[in-house]
Amino acid sequence: MTQSATHVLDHFDLFRQPEYKEMLENKKKNFENAVPAEEVERIREWTKTGEYRDKNFAREALTINPAKACQPLGAVFAAVGFESTLPFVHGSQGCVAYYRSHFSRHFKEPTSCVSSSMTEDAAVFGGLNNMVDGLANAYSLYKPKMIAVSTTCMAEVIGDDLNAFIKGAKEKGSVPVEFNVPFAHTPAFVGSHITGYDNVMKGICEHFWDGKAGTAPKLERAPNEKINFIGGFDGYTVGNLREIKRIFGLMGLDYTILGDNSDVWDTPTDGEFRMYDGGTTLKEAAEALHAKASISMQEYCTEKTLAFVGGHGQEVLAFNHPVGVAATDRFLMEVARVTGKAIPEELAKERGRVVDAIADSSAHIHGKKFAIYGDPDLCLGLAGFLLELGAEPTHVLATNGSKAWAEKVRALLDSSPFGENCHVYAGKDLWHMRSLLFTEPVDFVIGNTYGKFLERDTGTPLIRIGFPIFDRHHHHRYPVWGYQGAMNVLVWILDKIFDEIDKHTMVASKTDFSFDIIR
Amino acid sequence: MNALPGKLLEVFEEPACGKNQGKPEKERKQGCTKQLAPGAAAGGCAFDGAKIALQPITDAAHLVHGPIACEGNSWDNRHALSSGPTTYRTGFTTDISELDVIYGGEKRLYKAVKEIIDKYDPPAVFVYQTCVTAMIGDDIEAVCRAAGKKFNKPVIPVNSPGFAGIKNLGNKLGGEALLDYVIGTAEPDLSTPYDINIIGEYNLSGELWQVKPLLDAIGVRVLACISGDARYREVACSHRARAAMMVCSKAMINIARKMQERYQIPFFEGSFYGIGDMSESLREIARLLVERGAPPDIKDRAERLIESEEARAWARIEPYRQRLKGKKVLLITGGVKSWSVVAALQEAGMEIVGTSVKKSTKEDKDRIKEIMGDEAHMIDDMTPREMYKMLKEARADIMLSGGRSQFVALKAKMPWLDINQERHHAYAGYEGVVTLIEEIDRTLHNPVWDLVRARAPWEQHQRVPV
Repeated sequence: MTQSATHVLDHFDLFRQPEYKEMLENKKKNFENAVPAEEVERIREWTKTGEYRDKNFAREALTINPAKACQPLGAVFAAVGFESTLPFVHGSQGCVAYYRSHFSRHFKEPTSCVSSSMTEDAAVFGGLNNMVDGLANAYSLYKPKMIAVSTTCMAEVIGDDLNAFIKGAKEKGSVPVEFNVPFAHTPAFVGSHITGYDNVMKGICEHFWDGKAGTAPKLERAPNEKINFIGGFDGYTVGNLREIKRIFGLMGLDYTILGDNSDVWDTPTDGEFRMYDGGTTLKEAAEALHAKASISMQEYCTEKTLAFVGGHGQEVLAFNHPVGVAATDRFLMEVARVTGKAIPEELAKERGRVVDAIADSSAHIHGKKFAIYGDPDLCLGLAGFLLELGAEPTHVLATNGSKAWAEKVRALLDSSPFGENCHVYAGKDLWHMRSLLFTEPVDFVIGNTYGKFLERDTGTPLIRIGFPIFDRHHHHRYPVWGYQGAMNVLVWILDKIFDEIDKHTMVASKTDFSFDIIR
Repeated sequence: MNALPGKLLEVFEEPACGKNQGKPEKERKQGCTKQLAPGAAAGGCAFDGAKIALQPITDAAHLVHGPIACEGNSWDNRHALSSGPTTYRTGFTTDISELDVIYGGEKRLYKAVKEIIDKYDPPAVFVYQTCVTAMIGDDIEAVCRAAGKKFNKPVIPVNSPGFAGIKNLGNKLGGEALLDYVIGTAEPDLSTPYDINIIGEYNLSGELWQVKPLLDAIGVRVLACISGDARYREVACSHRARAAMMVCSKAMINIARKMQERYQIPFFEGSFYGIGDMSESLREIARLLVERGAPPDIKDRAERLIESEEARAWARIEPYRQRLKGKKVLLITGGVKSWSVVAALQEAGMEIVGTSVKKSTKEDKDRIKEIMGDEAHMIDDMTPREMYKMLKEARADIMLSGGRSQFVALKAKMPWLDINQERHHAYAGYEGVVTLIEEIDRTLHNPVWDLVRARAPWEQHQRVPV
């Protein structure tokens, strides 16, 4: 027997033992009524063909391996970026458990979030009681300064009215009348996590600026010289927002980051549990109305928010997750223009350094083909950077990408000779990507952790950039924005390229002729 | 006891080196290489030169007798590739300590040789002298002799400590070690009229393998390549070759000349870079072999191969000629490449605005004049600052050089392509010319140069106070 009480094998080893191998083989042979191995192989091969790809792309109803998440996930992401704010998701608690684990697995940090725990009776009679009890409990248990309410599908399907419910709860004394409870409807069956982010960001601005759902006078805008900065849903939020603060600090700007979750998702281990940490203060959130302009790093994460902000008289600027030298140039130039501040020498040097690094390594990236998938703005940012590096972003795919997004990507690709044979795929999933990787192979695929299945099936090496990244740790601490961020992305891409060269040259006495120490 | 001064003199007076022979006697005695200017940046030392000359012997163990720096910094740093054994890539050193400096490191060296033979049993062990062990008086010749006798195995002293001089001198001293201890110590199982040696070819990035199929095709056997992808035994048997080709004249002329003297093996100097040079080399090989009694039909075979390969290479280069036509190249390299690459570049329609001759012989320089005309811009010893100035003034579109100059080029916003040992592409033979041209094209058209040359957008509008 393989297993013994004194030496118990774990899953890595147990089923590789001869008895288990034999047992599994017999089971397959005698009991599984399995399709013959050749047939499995034939189908496997068939799924690599153009014929299969055509069928795959003709899919109408089924989504296989989507590269997107739901609205409330984005809602929670936005909400934790405000000072002592507890995200409260009105709906079923199972959903909320998912958001928390999703973020915790990515950021390696606890994510505090509560639900109104709706059950069957709430589904029938409406969730008002859950809201009343939920707000009361959350308020007294976790002592937040603000509770940001969003919804799951369950509450949306039965049509719960958040505005009315929150008012009702306040009347019943769940929380003090003047307590801030901004809200946004965030059904998962509409849009994706970036939509949820947008809705909550707008909901919070609306709450503070437009009279707190009729409980206070609307604020009067008194324009000042400050600017607002909105990062959007971003797996690198910890590193990115800190980098933005550093850059803005160097430029001497007066600014407010709306939804600053860089501290709450990177708390120190010093003996104290911080349920809340850092974040945009509620005062800043309210005063953000007076800023002269608002900058969004991710257009498709902030469509409604920017429209709302613009409607209040601010200049609004939207970028598409700028990565690389030219994209960062454009970003800084706009910031400099809006604020009237100069770009300091320190940033000019950083720019020179990253240009230097790109030139040092350009030969290794030049002409390589990449597939990219992820959120729409990230795809645009990465595709732009790859074109800058002389690489070809052959397939650019966003499950939550819109038609307008696809046109924007197309225009970007058309702007460079390296984009000539590249294509954009809006609303497609990772099973479509699988067909693309088989029929039009590329050298590397850039995506989140789920890309590892593509890597396994198609043999295309995966460069992990995106959200979520569950199986590699701490990359979220590094910025991908700014010149420093470009440097990081460059290094991640290069690391993989060199790893692959080594991998292909490391079999002793077989391929190690080219296993060199200098690359 | 110390054979080094005598050896140095011998190498300095190398009669096949025209440059050296052209000097008055007094000057000649001072050495054939320029004295290093203290305080000026310099290239590698004699130890490094000897090591890179011999290390491509793949099945031998290469043991560096010295403190960690010498092997630590040079371990496996050249892409001299092997088609088989990898013993040469293992870093062996005695890693001597303070106590060894006081009490002497000979015993430690002897034990190290023993351990290598016990653990690896290579066909031979090369032992490299370094500055420190030479200064404390370790007699590596004696240790090698004793160890060789005791273990019945060739243990070869390479007496080329760093302070002896520059890298090039070390190349030659490495060659001397082969002449004194290796060449002629074994007999080949089989000899043919088509056996040649290739001397001064290190199989960097596998370049020998781009040429070998051509030689195979016309029926020429490489008895020994000294020392690229070599086996110890091949080098030991190399005195039975019928003819030799000298690839890097600067480094190993002494081997070619002495083998001619001792074993009557005629040699010619040729290059594998560029279409014309490759063909010329094939012709010369065939000619020398026939002179030595090989059946004359090998010449026809060579011509037929040249005709078809040249046509094929030209056809493959053609698409690039338009894109590269008139592009100005600055070549910073040494020795044979200072002219052989010139021809290759001219074949692609490029214009050479300068070539460095720091490490070139008189013959090399003559060849440059022949190819480029009297106007040839030869740069003797370009300091990084001058190089920077030249690049900055954009008198060139691209610089081809070794890794150490790369970064100077980059700061001057100049496209750059590595043609020295750290490169990853093989540029030899007909195949290699095409690769070189492709790489130049890729480099020139890399979008990064637009980025490098453009100023930061804000600099066009404002001058930012520091």
